[in-house]
Amino acid sequence: MRALTFSLLIGLSLILHAQSNISGVVTDKAGEALLGVNVYLKGTYDGATSGLDGAFSFETLETDSLILIVSFIGFHEVEIPLKPESRKLNISLKEKITQLNAVVITAGSFNASDEQKREVLKPLDIVTTAGATADIPGALNTLPGTQTVGETGRLFVRGGDGRETKTFIDGMLVHNEYGPAAPNTPSRSRFSPFMFKGMSFSTGGYSAEYGQALSSALILQSKDLADNNRSDISLMSVGADLSTTRSFGKSSIAGKVQYTNLTPYFELAPQNLSWDKAPEEINGNFAYRLKTSKTGMLKFYSNLSTSNLSLFQTDIANPEVELPVKVSNDYAHFNTSYRELISEKWGVRSGISYTKSNDLASLDSDSREQKLRGYHTKLVADYQHSDRVAILFGSEVLGRKVEQELMDETGSFNQNFDEVVKASFVETELFASAALAFKIGARMAHSNLNDEIILAPRISAAYKTGEHSQVSVAYGQFNQAPQTQVILTNPESQFEKSTHFIGNYQWAREGQSFRVEAYEKQYDNLTKYQSVFEASSFRFNGDGFARGVDLFWRDNKTFKEMDYWVSYSYLQTERNHREYPGSFTPSFASTHNVSIVGKKFIDEIKSQIGLTYSFASGRPFNDLNSEKYLAGKTPAYHDLSFNISYLYNSQVIVHAMVNNVLGINNIYGYEFASQPDGNGVYASRAITPPAKRFIFLGIFITLSKNKGINQLPNL
Amino acid sequence: MKKNLFILLTAFCVTFVQANGQFEKAMGKNIPAMFSSNDPESLQAVINQFSRIGEAEGDRWEPYYYAAFGYLRMSGMYESADDKDKYLDLAMKEVEKGEAISELNSELESMRGYVNMIKLTVDPASRGMMYSGLAFTSFQKAIKLSPENPRAHFLLGRMQHGTAQFMGGGSEEACGSLFKALVLFDKKGQSDNPFAPSWGKDSTQEAIKEICEKG
Repeated sequence: MRALTFSLLIGLSLILHAQSNISGVVTDKAGEALLGVNVYLKGTYDGATSGLDGAFSFETLETDSLILIVSFIGFHEVEIPLKPESRKLNISLKEKITQLNAVVITAGSFNASDEQKREVLKPLDIVTTAGATADIPGALNTLPGTQTVGETGRLFVRGGDGRETKTFIDGMLVHNEYGPAAPNTPSRSRFSPFMFKGMSFSTGGYSAEYGQALSSALILQSKDLADNNRSDISLMSVGADLSTTRSFGKSSIAGKVQYTNLTPYFELAPQNLSWDKAPEEINGNFAYRLKTSKTGMLKFYSNLSTSNLSLFQTDIANPEVELPVKVSNDYAHFNTSYRELISEKWGVRSGISYTKSNDLASLDSDSREQKLRGYHTKLVADYQHSDRVAILFGSEVLGRKVEQELMDETGSFNQNFDEVVKASFVETELFASAALAFKIGARMAHSNLNDEIILAPRISAAYKTGEHSQVSVAYGQFNQAPQTQVILTNPESQFEKSTHFIGNYQWAREGQSFRVEAYEKQYDNLTKYQSVFEASSFRFNGDGFARGVDLFWRDNKTFKEMDYWVSYSYLQTERNHREYPGSFTPSFASTHNVSIVGKKFIDEIKSQIGLTYSFASGRPFNDLNSEKYLAGKTPAYHDLSFNISYLYNSQVIVHAMVNNVLGINNIYGYEFASQPDGNGVYASRAITPPAKRFIFLGIFITLSKNKGINQLPNL
Repeated sequence: MKKNLFILLTAFCVTFVQANGQFEKAMGKNIPAMFSSNDPESLQAVINQFSRIGEAEGDRWEPYYYAAFGYLRMSGMYESADDKDKYLDLAMKEVEKGEAISELNSELESMRGYVNMIKLTVDPASRGMMYSGLAFTSFQKAIKLSPENPRAHFLLGRMQHGTAQFMGGGSEEACGSLFKALVLFDKKGQSDNPFAPSWGKDSTQEAIKEICEKG
């Protein structure tokens, strides 16, 4: 009995522990051998790593219900149940489409992000670009596809008017995103660049998720949870600000109070304008972030500001007469957004925003008071079917209530409208392979004002032509309500429409990128009128076109510690809209725009210096003394700006900036008197910058336990 | 009899596996191999072993720690930022797998900071802000979790040195951390876990020589 038991035991353990060999070859779908693949038996240590020829081989003592796992970076993992007779295997793995290897549709868009390397811009670039004065639109104006329109400071994209570019924060539309400014002086964006971790600036063909913009969408993503406590103090030639951030692990708050007053600066630096009260502004920001779960994030952001200015403007016809001009604005914007992954495949985003803006502008005894109340709600779901198919869909409601009161000596006149645009959108992203991607989407929108339903298809595709190069194309239809004044006069105004066709080639490798993009944009349903105050003269049959080529080259590799980019835009555009008697190139369009931006860090003086040169060819203006419409042409625009940031120590930075170093007399256009003089000639005046140069000085101090943090990225 | 046989059999098998000391043996072999592998192929093979061990065990964080370290070393074997980032992202994934098993682990937190510190060096100009914050936070948190962890102090010292070099500033702070690390390395018998990380003394001495004793 004992002997039997013993021999039984030996026999059993032999069966249990007999070694067997498992071997094979791992390739990809194209049959190329894969090196470094982890091939092993599930739940055991037994396995091997494939060699250069894709071959693997290992011994195992295991016998029962074996499952072989084949796992390799960038490929779909497979599990193979092993049969006792099949111990030699040929395994082929399917490549995963990931952020790292997938082609990205780049037609029409410039992205800036800290997280993705393939982007042509970083958020930091926005704030270190000379001449941009740390203004987001200021920096984006150095990219191709934009036109310099110095007297507004806004983003004019590919023959589009400034209002054809809309700003979205965390997916929510922002109304009145620019602060107020004196007539013909540039305004600044209300939103400071260091609030954002990423941005996408689309010069056309953008996603179906965004609407109400004919030309361009500027999509900003605010920063996530802060993980450091810090406080910053900035002392500037134009004011001061104080900000603080507190981190509580799963939540954080950030607040900033900024006071700007240009009076002292204008006392020192003579201005062309005769200021009564230089611009003064108090601006407060508050942000709250809450990590609701591992994948959930709630963001709240608000911006409150009040500003005013007043000056005297000479009457064009009678230069000895000075008329008082007053501008004031009270503004509040609240923005809440929430995102969460419900499961591995499903995600949701939602948001609600509210904007309140009261504007008052007066010239002599005429005044205009305008109150805007805007809201936006949105719900978006996305479903990731696989690494090759994803779908996004959602709905939104955009409401806007505008009341206007016009006053002159004769009395007052009130107009208002209450607009509600409801829209739904769907967009699918398809990868035929890692090298070929499509995005197909559509947007449906309805406005209560004209009871019109529009359907706007959007399609784009990209194909990787080589390791460093790719081509992409985009087509899309875009709609936008006409300018506010048009709707006030005629609330039944129709949507204006544009159609984009874009082709793009991009070449990029580490430290260098080149892109060229050609586009054609058609405008339809533009508003035409005799006078913007005469509803009966309105027609919605205006049209136009814009076409051109944009070039971009960026290089931070060739020269040590130096980074530079060059943009060139060629634009041809005409429109028949508003009061135009036919098809003409609008006064905001210039044929050639060039920007050259350079930045260099000089170790010896612990400073970063920046230079920006901008050029724009002459723009048309309507010379009332000429028979021809819009026949005048301004001289070309040149600007050379310089900035320097000096690291005094790790937490104190001194920053200086000079715009228009060369002191060139730029002329943006001409204004004319409303009536001709005795000789039948309309008196005129050049529109110029309020001062030849703008000089800025600031000291930025950071208080933080963490010595690695300073305000450099904020400058 | 049948019952006896069953018990005997089971006991036999159990002893066999335990005596084998599979985990100890495998870790004992692969930890030095991870440090000595000097090409991506052999390093990947070692990392693959760690991930097999980690998955088979299910409750040990150490294999993931070393897999992360392996990918961190791997990132240094490539020139291009894309490749470096790819392996650093993989390293971070391994850290996260470890953290899922062992929360509030000073060694894993140090490794998290280490990965972020190397991410920073890939593109200091544009990543400085974000990644220096992440790295400092991790090192400080790691020290809080275990004030005696010499690697947390060593890495913090390196980070302080890098920051001082980039921003301008002396090396006193960095040297303070490095000397502190050295003292802790010399303190014997601090861990009863033979597979807990024990590397770093030589690197600390080298760093001190380079940064603090140069004059």
